[in-house]
Amino acid sequence: MWRQLHNRFGLPLTMAIVSLMGIWLIVMVLLPQWQMIDYSFHPALLPAERGGAKDVWSLTNYATFFRNEIHLAIFFKTIWSSVLVTTLTLIVSYPLAYYLAKVATPGQAALCLLLLIIPFWINEILRTFAWYIIFAFRGPLNELLLAVGLIDRPIRFLNGDTGVLVGMVYAYILFMVFPLYNAIESLDTNQIRAARDLGAGWGRTHRRIVIPHAKPGIATGCIMTFMLAAGSYAVPALLGSPGSRWFTQIIYNWFFEGGDWNQGAAYAFLLLVLCIVFVTVIMRIFKVGLGDIAK
Amino acid sequence: MDGRVNLSQVAMRFGDFTAIQPTSLEIASGEFFSFLGPSGCGKTTLLNMISGFLTPSEGLVAIGGVDMTRVPVNRRPTAMIFQNLALFPLMSVYRNIEFGLEVRGVDRKKRREKADELLDLVALGGSGDKPVAELSGGQKQRIAIARALAVEPRVLLLDEPLSALDLKLRQHMRTELKAIQRKTGITFIYITHDQGEALTMSDRVAVMCDGRIQQVADPMTLYRQPRTDFVAGFVGENNRFPGRVTAVDGGMVTLDAGLPAPLRGAAASPLEPGDEATLYVRPEQWRVGSASDSSLPFGGVIQAEHFEGAWLTLEIALEQGRTVRAHVPQALESDGVESSFKVGSACRLDYSPRGTLVLPGVERGQSDEEGADVAATA
Repeated sequence: MWRQLHNRFGLPLTMAIVSLMGIWLIVMVLLPQWQMIDYSFHPALLPAERGGAKDVWSLTNYATFFRNEIHLAIFFKTIWSSVLVTTLTLIVSYPLAYYLAKVATPGQAALCLLLLIIPFWINEILRTFAWYIIFAFRGPLNELLLAVGLIDRPIRFLNGDTGVLVGMVYAYILFMVFPLYNAIESLDTNQIRAARDLGAGWGRTHRRIVIPHAKPGIATGCIMTFMLAAGSYAVPALLGSPGSRWFTQIIYNWFFEGGDWNQGAAYAFLLLVLCIVFVTVIMRIFKVGLGDIAK
Repeated sequence: MDGRVNLSQVAMRFGDFTAIQPTSLEIASGEFFSFLGPSGCGKTTLLNMISGFLTPSEGLVAIGGVDMTRVPVNRRPTAMIFQNLALFPLMSVYRNIEFGLEVRGVDRKKRREKADELLDLVALGGSGDKPVAELSGGQKQRIAIARALAVEPRVLLLDEPLSALDLKLRQHMRTELKAIQRKTGITFIYITHDQGEALTMSDRVAVMCDGRIQQVADPMTLYRQPRTDFVAGFVGENNRFPGRVTAVDGGMVTLDAGLPAPLRGAAASPLEPGDEATLYVRPEQWRVGSASDSSLPFGGVIQAEHFEGAWLTLEIALEQGRTVRAHVPQALESDGVESSFKVGSACRLDYSPRGTLVLPGVERGQSDEEGADVAATA
């Protein structure tokens, strides 16, 4: 890589590019991460005690997590809910992406994309708050369902997980739609036509031709959606109930309510490990490499 | 069910644009039938209506005597070979060929037997486990044929499948396609803009222009007796002489086309003196001689010559400003007369009226275009 850059840009510019990249990687990525990991392996101490006899490496912060059944439960619930959010988003996005890529005329596709993107010009918290209003006990959704006659008393959407799931699917749909759209769009339409011509119904055409081709896109979308969901704070904070707490809320509490940064760092590090594991598993399942996803 | 295809009054409109004018046609079972025409003439639209990718705006499509107009593409007894072949790149050769059988619920063993049989037919036995990406252009072509034949279609539709191959391979595949068609007895419907392909392989050819079938005939008839000005110009080369009929004598017509001598030709349909008509003379029908040969009635100057291997094509400007194209056999070139066929030199020429053709009417648009060509070369 050095040689390529050198040939293209000459020595001074190459030095500049490489050192900027190095500084960015070290200062913005590696050092903060290292600091967080370092925090997580130390006990929380008063400023005066730092560097003293009590300032030793320990696994106490992690032990706290594994001994706390409630936190463990919330951790696994976060994983499970994020998987659910990812699956739901995939189910909602796939037909939409297929329509945009292969069915819609260019005009329809442009209009549809515009309608998808416009809400994203608004801050995530405000969009989430909009759902809070929609889902309210005396809110428009309940009014509508009552008026249509589907229910005879209002539902408390914000009590369970419904609000969080819907809010997240809505908040992260673009991160699923775009990778899927890119992948499906690159499929030669004649492949679909050939499968149909050879007698395949729509189900089989998707299973055997479109989905295998779109695999890298599906993997990318799932990874992004899962990470955003698992790391989400605003949506569970606004649309969740005490019963549907997210692991990020626990981390937040350690940092800003408990004032125990070291404990919070340990929890945050666990979440990071979880995400890395998830990415690895998904890449295994879909048999794609990092290169496919980066595309 | 046999492989007959009947189109009755099918038409296709996209908004205001009429892609196919109402068309009726019967293609016999086991026939090698081609649609020939320039791009945009509607031939692919017609093919898509037979395969089921498009539903005609009007009219009926029947295959084997059964109405298929509303039958979806995956339930028609047709198979298509796409212009880009559309092999499934993520599957092996076997899985490509077996796809249609898998869809039909044929068990694994039978599928493999059938695939091997087809691989032998296309002379690619033993390459079933290869990934598609490892095949050469010609091999991909054959796998596409095998994949389409695997579903035992009554009608095989081919959408310019040879256009991506190089010349030698293309000529070889023509022979091979024809042989496969004979062996299987399936109706082949072939789409092409290449008249060489259409004329060499087909039992019958439909020449299309602007969404309309101009003429349906066997290749020989198409070449010798084109029925419209478009066919006369599109199938093979032709020199046009628009003019007015001055005399009719049996099947022969004399035409005044503004040249020093009257032109004679065989009339394709009855004409009266005074009618507008066009004489078509093929390049190979000219006899070109030296400028001193006074037995030849027309004089001209050679504007350009193109070496074509077996013959030489001359562009000759007649004294009246009209340019004609004439083929001179290479044998003539080499026996000493050739010195007179040099660019810029004068020559005289004639044609034999017997093999020529006179069609009623004058295509003004076309002759204007020709005039412009002459201006450009001059």
